[in-house]
Amino acid sequence: MRDGEIDVVLEMAARAPHEVERALLKRVADSIQPAMRPVHPLPRTSVLAGGLVLICSAVALAGAARAGFNGFEKMGLLERALIFSTLGMLAWVAATEFVNEMIPGSRRWVSAGALLGMGSAVLVGVFALLFHDYHTDHFFSVGIVCLVTGVLHAIPAGLLSWLVLRRGFAVNSVSAGLVAGTLAGLAGVGVLELHCANFEATHVLVWHTAVVPLSGAAGALVAGALRLRTGSGAPWARRPPMN
Amino acid sequence: MELERVCGCGLTAGNGLHEHAGTDIHCTTTIPFMHPDSNLEILMARYQEGDFAAATVLIDRISPQLHRFFVAQFGSRADADDLLQETWLRIHRVRHTYRPGEPVLPWFYAIARHVRVDHFRKAIRTTAREQRLEEMSQAAVTVPRASGQADNLEALLEPLPESQREVIEMLKVAGMSLEEVARATSSSVGSVKQKVHRAYKKLREKMDAMGHRKGRNGGMQ
Repeated sequence: MRDGEIDVVLEMAARAPHEVERALLKRVADSIQPAMRPVHPLPRTSVLAGGLVLICSAVALAGAARAGFNGFEKMGLLERALIFSTLGMLAWVAATEFVNEMIPGSRRWVSAGALLGMGSAVLVGVFALLFHDYHTDHFFSVGIVCLVTGVLHAIPAGLLSWLVLRRGFAVNSVSAGLVAGTLAGLAGVGVLELHCANFEATHVLVWHTAVVPLSGAAGALVAGALRLRTGSGAPWARRPPMN
Repeated sequence: MELERVCGCGLTAGNGLHEHAGTDIHCTTTIPFMHPDSNLEILMARYQEGDFAAATVLIDRISPQLHRFFVAQFGSRADADDLLQETWLRIHRVRHTYRPGEPVLPWFYAIARHVRVDHFRKAIRTTAREQRLEEMSQAAVTVPRASGQADNLEALLEPLPESQREVIEMLKVAGMSLEEVARATSSSVGSVKQKVHRAYKKLREKMDAMGHRKGRNGGMQ
């Protein structure tokens, strides 16, 4: 049997009428009628994504302003340009995907897992290109401090991002959590790049980059836990009132 | 719920085309001849503006498709009825997430899929709890399929895994494009194509086997 013949069989079967009881349709209409009010559609993806990138930049700048811009001052022009343009681009992609996750039926350019992998890989590539000092001092003790600093700054970035998209509706909350965590993790890396003046290659490659997958995993875990708790697949979205 | 409540200017059921612009006495606006999906977009925009009549027309237009989608997944009309109601409540709560100009059907189907997944999860939890208490037989818990509850298309798609069945359902029943199915299922067009390819392979095997059996039976008579 050829594909065309299967098409014909399926189309004929699909043409068979499928009735839904009028009483059921009336029940559905009656159930929404009392809560029938005008609503404002969400803004365009670019507007929301721009807002998210601004929030992440603000968190990174605020964190560095508090801790000091030591890293930024020690960097050369090439390092500054390459690192911050890469972070900006990754944040834009992650923000766009986060918006898409929060709007049902949106086009997906990249899956949540691929975004996390791609973001981490790009950062590793850029850091490997720029930093060549493979000598290490206090690898773990200094590294853990950076990792914690990055993740701690990712938390407000994630929370504020959620505030921006609180009217959205995630059809796959774990995936949305993973993307939100990735975006927040990029804000955390931003703080580290502005603040941390330790340019040892292994330190930057391991501990700075690790903020992204760790935040992503944390975002997915939180979203999964909330879903189990609420019994709904959309913990990222505040259950909107029946307005 | 008469369709004429929304003046009928392209908002009628059936093929959804604008068949009587300006001739209906209730008609207040003139909408040019347009694609059925454009009508859905207009209806959706009015629904967001709080127009209950537009919402009822949308319910009339979309519900049979969604109902069939659920029947194809669960095989039971009772389950499909419940899920349809649940879907519309969810649609109503999140109607602000639809943005004018975007395709409507992927938005509806994405929410319907979400409701279906929620239903599966609840069913699994309930099943596990009941099995612990009563060691119920698997047959009583699993969704009843076939046995006169599903019509031809559903019977035809029965051997397919859920992910392939939903893709075929969206393409063939809802008439969505590959791009729209990709949007509704949060996947890529390539992934949808792959599922369709695999589904067709299984359907071909099934239909060939049926044809072979029929042929043999015919030969014996």
